Amino acid sequence: MRVLLTLIAAAVVAVSSPVSAKEPHVSILVPITGFLAIEGTAQRNGAVLALEEAASVVPLSQSVLDTATSPEKAVTALRRTLSRDDPIAVVGSIFGTQMLAMLPIAQREGVPIATISGTAKLTELGNPWIFRFFPGDSVVKVAHADYVLGELGAKRPALIYQTTAYGQSGREHLARILAERGVPLVAEEAVEPAAKDMTGALARVRAAEPDVLLLHLHSRPTALAIRQSRALGMELPVVAGSAMHQPTTAALLEPEELEGVCAETASSPISDNRAAVRAFTAAYRKRFDQEPDAFALAQYDGTRMIVEAVLAGASSPEGVRDFLSSQRFDGLAMAYRTDGTGNMAHDAVIVCYDGKSRIPAIVARYSDVNGVLAKYE
Amino acid sequence: MTDIAAQLVLNGISLGASYALVALGFVLILNAVGAVNFAHGDAVMAGGYIAIATVAFLPEWGRGFGLAVLPLVLLAAAMLGLILAWVGYFPIRRRPPVAVFVSTIAIGVILQSGADVLFGAAPRAGPSLVGGGNLSLGGIRLDHQQIAVIAVASLACAGVWALLSRTRVGRQLRAVAQDPDMAEAIGIRATIAIAATFALAAALAGLAGLLLSERYFVTPVDGATFMLKAYIAATIGGWGRIWGAVVGALLLGLFEVVVAALVSPMIAEAALYLAVLLVLLMRPTGLFGEALGTRS
Repeated sequence: MRVLLTLIAAAVVAVSSPVSAKEPHVSILVPITGFLAIEGTAQRNGAVLALEEAASVVPLSQSVLDTATSPEKAVTALRRTLSRDDPIAVVGSIFGTQMLAMLPIAQREGVPIATISGTAKLTELGNPWIFRFFPGDSVVKVAHADYVLGELGAKRPALIYQTTAYGQSGREHLARILAERGVPLVAEEAVEPAAKDMTGALARVRAAEPDVLLLHLHSRPTALAIRQSRALGMELPVVAGSAMHQPTTAALLEPEELEGVCAETASSPISDNRAAVRAFTAAYRKRFDQEPDAFALAQYDGTRMIVEAVLAGASSPEGVRDFLSSQRFDGLAMAYRTDGTGNMAHDAVIVCYDGKSRIPAIVARYSDVNGVLAKYE
Repeated sequence: MTDIAAQLVLNGISLGASYALVALGFVLILNAVGAVNFAHGDAVMAGGYIAIATVAFLPEWGRGFGLAVLPLVLLAAAMLGLILAWVGYFPIRRRPPVAVFVSTIAIGVILQSGADVLFGAAPRAGPSLVGGGNLSLGGIRLDHQQIAVIAVASLACAGVWALLSRTRVGRQLRAVAQDPDMAEAIGIRATIAIAATFALAAALAGLAGLLLSERYFVTPVDGATFMLKAYIAATIGGWGRIWGAVVGALLLGLFEVVVAALVSPMIAEAALYLAVLLVLLMRPTGLFGEALGTRS
């Protein structure tokens, strides 16, 4: 009887505990292991740093769950955090396949997901709970093509791209934009991410006598293609995809191999001399003993916008979603505002290496490429 | 054009020579225990990381010379092979082969996770064998590293051939591979011979890891790719045929580079698996016949 009374008393106390005592929770569901571990770790670090910095102003609890590389793990992680933590927002995986699996659940349960995944389809499904803080191919490939044609004056571009969804999406945008501007690709080759040797693809591209080599590859294949193109005596300029800007990619190559190499990306924190970005880079290095990349900064900005939503009075997932879908946020990398489908990022930069160091310089900025911000000014 | 063609062939042979070391170790264990060691690809990956870790202890000027750490890589990889044998094989050697598959898969995952924790997920570049640079031969530029890779891999293959065919130890290893019970009956200690085979195979895998890590980099998840290469090489050369697998690996390397340059990498990839299918259909025992009666 005494036990029963104790249980009833405990239940009454639990039910009557004030809800307001619970801190709002942000769940970070990213791939920390597997082939996207570098990008996922950057995501996690960016989100964690943003939440830790905000703790003195608005305490938010957080949890990190590894989604590895399968959609099943991502879905399990999402279900687990929804039932256990009742989050007001979720930081979602950079891996588009995982995001596609998680989105229907997020919509059904009504929780916003902030991600940096580049998969175009994520924001084409009419799901009002997705918010992407990294520019998609419709932004960065315009900058890529603009730089190649406008700054380098290329007339015969050639492209090597990945066979993955990421690679094909980039190839489709680049090929279309270049063709529309009257400078079609003179050669294009697709390679598997696990391909050990690129000389076959490079030799075929070389035979077309291009005046610039475009790459849209993941991290290791980018480094491999640059190294092997130099070994084949191809001294032409290289303009690569965003994987090249990652410090871990540059670390695979000698500085002299990087001479004449440029890359498109959303930002490059280690190259950016603005005081606020320098402060972020210093804080990131101190906290994680790593160099931040554009993925870390984008997720940092995305998480800070969630914090801003809470500061503005959002106390539920619906409140956070309403804030994200209606407000402009001036982040460190760029200004963010949804285009109506959840695409928040509309800027890109081009970075180039000088052949003397592995830290690139920002040589061109492309702001509000598709005019979303201007529409609301 | 001649220089590009020569460069492509050199790349193909260099890549194939490294694959040959992987395939050699794969088939040695296959023959010794009659089962596939699924951690073999991860031993290649581990060899790359052992090279990166050991070269860090060299003075700054010596870090470009991977040959200096080659003995250490061989030794550490051989130790890894012994651990693999004692943890993943001997405790379950009397169980069906599937138990060995599962235990070696588990050890492979442990190696992957260990590399992830120790070195991180980012790709890393291993040391060059003899430093950078190239030499010009009749207008053709030959990369020092590639020549060194081919030379070291050839020496290693020749060493294994000499060990197996010219020494008493080699004859014992072969006897155990053919019939362990009969070998035991005539006084050969099968357990020691099998452990030595695991050590030798892992040393070859570690060496391949060192050779591949400079040019192609290394990540913790590379093991599966190397396993696939070893499987294809063994299938082309004849399941269980040691030298058939070496030839299969060389053909594989040449195919991946030269055929890719001729017809495009994507078509070459499809053509490779089509060629493997054709070998299986028209010559099921591989180009050099099959040494094992059953496939694992």
